[in-house]
Amino acid sequence: MGMNMKKIWTVAGHEFITTITRPGVIFSTLLPPALGLIALVVAGFFGGQAGQFFEGLGSQFVPQDNQVGYVDYTGTFTPPLPQYAGEFIPYAEEQAARAALIAGDIPGYLVIPTDYMATGQVIGYTKGRGISGAMAVDSDEVEAFLVAHLLAGQVDPALQERVTNPAKVSIVTLSEGAEAGQSDVWAILSSFVLPIVFTMMLSITIFVSAGFLLQGVGEEKERRVIEILISSLTPTELLAGKILGLGAVGLTQILVWFGTGWALMGGVAVVFAVAGVLPFGVGTLILALIYFLLGYLLFATLMAAVGSLGTTAREGQQLAGFFSMAAFVPMWFMGFIMTNPNSLLARILSYFPLTAPTMVLLRLGMGEVPAVDIAISLVVLIAAIVFCLWGGAKIFRMGLLTYGKRPSIKEIWRALRQA
Amino acid sequence: MYAIETRDLVKEFNGLRAVDSLSFTVERGEIFGLLGPNGAGKTTTIRMLLDIFKPDAGEIKVLGGTVDTHTKSRIGYLPEERGLYPRLRVVQCLTYLARLKGIGRREAKSRAEALLERVGLAEWRRKRVKELSKGMQQKVQFVATIVHDPDLLILDEPFQGLDPINVDLLKEMIRELHQTGKTIIFSTHIMGQVEQMCDRILLINEGQAVLYGLLAEIKSRYAQHAVLLRSDDSLEGLEGVLRIEKQGTDHLVFLRADTSPQDILRQLVARKATITRFEVATPSLEEIFITAVKEGAR
Repeated sequence: MGMNMKKIWTVAGHEFITTITRPGVIFSTLLPPALGLIALVVAGFFGGQAGQFFEGLGSQFVPQDNQVGYVDYTGTFTPPLPQYAGEFIPYAEEQAARAALIAGDIPGYLVIPTDYMATGQVIGYTKGRGISGAMAVDSDEVEAFLVAHLLAGQVDPALQERVTNPAKVSIVTLSEGAEAGQSDVWAILSSFVLPIVFTMMLSITIFVSAGFLLQGVGEEKERRVIEILISSLTPTELLAGKILGLGAVGLTQILVWFGTGWALMGGVAVVFAVAGVLPFGVGTLILALIYFLLGYLLFATLMAAVGSLGTTAREGQQLAGFFSMAAFVPMWFMGFIMTNPNSLLARILSYFPLTAPTMVLLRLGMGEVPAVDIAISLVVLIAAIVFCLWGGAKIFRMGLLTYGKRPSIKEIWRALRQA
Repeated sequence: MYAIETRDLVKEFNGLRAVDSLSFTVERGEIFGLLGPNGAGKTTTIRMLLDIFKPDAGEIKVLGGTVDTHTKSRIGYLPEERGLYPRLRVVQCLTYLARLKGIGRREAKSRAEALLERVGLAEWRRKRVKELSKGMQQKVQFVATIVHDPDLLILDEPFQGLDPINVDLLKEMIRELHQTGKTIIFSTHIMGQVEQMCDRILLINEGQAVLYGLLAEIKSRYAQHAVLLRSDDSLEGLEGVLRIEKQGTDHLVFLRADTSPQDILRQLVARKATITRFEVATPSLEEIFITAVKEGAR
């Protein structure tokens, strides 16, 4: 009994059209690009300073007239060097400094005790619990001020500058032959956060699409259309058509996100030119799409089979919830896996079929995944899919027509053994 | 060649035999009645014919072979549990169901529209299914059954929930389909509903065949030796009468074995009695069914 491809495509086309025109699907497809656009407009408004904005975020809290008072018991720091004269105001005694602080003339003051050279101990006084005061008395500027006075006249200015500012770190991300070096926030964002966001979106799409399959089957069962469908084509043809059609919905969604993302990045080059680097290499991207498709195939089949066992759409969804939970296990250990993407836990979760798609997608987002891990997880995943398609179609067939009561494990077992 | 041929069909659910060694054939072009009370196994039998259920034992041939996806395209099935897509528009829903039977999109649409016109729902074709009344949905469901021009129609309780006018409309359409050579299987527990339409019947009870054959033959086999009479005059003193039962305004007159209905009529004419009804009494299918089940139990 061969499969009728024409009927499969009819089902696929029908599922695709009726799903993609649902308001909820249109909304969820267009929401991320819309948010991205808004973010870019906002960022564009700040122009090229966006990067500096993030970098200098800390100093934003410090008032512009950030004068800091100090009481020097060592004599090393008074009078202040000319370049610090306006910023650091010496007070002869603590009483006067305290009065100035209370009067609001200065946000804070430092007391440098006599044993400073031995202990390095400095006490900073601020008013209330304001963060700006605390930042004023414990800032890079304060350190620079102290260093400048300690070394004044003893070493050459270049050395003094290096002691004050020992390193300007530029982060260079090496990825698949392409290399770009940037030290700003956008580079970190694009090399780390964006891939994770992207892989999470892929994972979520798997479940959204599989969820539509589940919901559709449940509704057809509840509305009793299923009997008409099964009298027109085989359950396997119906299942295949649904998986194809709803998979296409998920893929369309991803392509829309990706396409608009690409366009937005290109369009507002002012901001993203700084980032310069694409979140993924092409190879990783293709691999991610393969895992997306395999993951979808596995969960769609599983959910269709399990969903068909429920007597109502809602009950089917509850039954299938178990599988989504298993798939989100890697997200629970996200913190650990982010710091150890090739740890034993991450590898084991990559070999277990239910967690493999989400786990490998996450790891792909975090950097190189060893080829061995990819190979093992692909083999396991494909084997699991073949098994689920075989068994799923049978359970699907039996589940479709059991109204009123959920079939027992025994009945499911019998259906699986039936040729 | 038969439209349907089954041999020793068996289907069990949780150890209960829903269908028990059922063998029957349906000839091409006939109207066949699959009758029996609720829970007799009619729907289970139909589901096996359509390969929705696999039989536990027995053989099925539909339109000359085993049921595959191509055979399914030649069958129109009206299930007892009606169902359509509530969110779809009427034409969209019908077109999809027709296309699943292998009809091209354009043809499916034009056939659906023509049939909607025929059942008086042309103005509703752009409405969503859920906006239609229950009776309208029933008619749409019937259209879905015949939209792909099937050779074999299987109608499970087709008149359930329909008003008399729509029952007439459907009966007329079914007769037309029969005239164009389609094979039609009626399944119902309301036996009187199909008495005038069926050529042959299979009457089942608890999964087993009780009566099977030409309807006319079965009727004559169970015919009582009696006449149904309506007359205002007294019927007392008629020769050859065993007893008289009053049935509403009529009298059921049971005759002795040596008396023919003609003998009674002659006597009535001789008496110059006013007769408004005189016919040879045949039992209804329901009465035959009850008798047959009782006989089987004995």
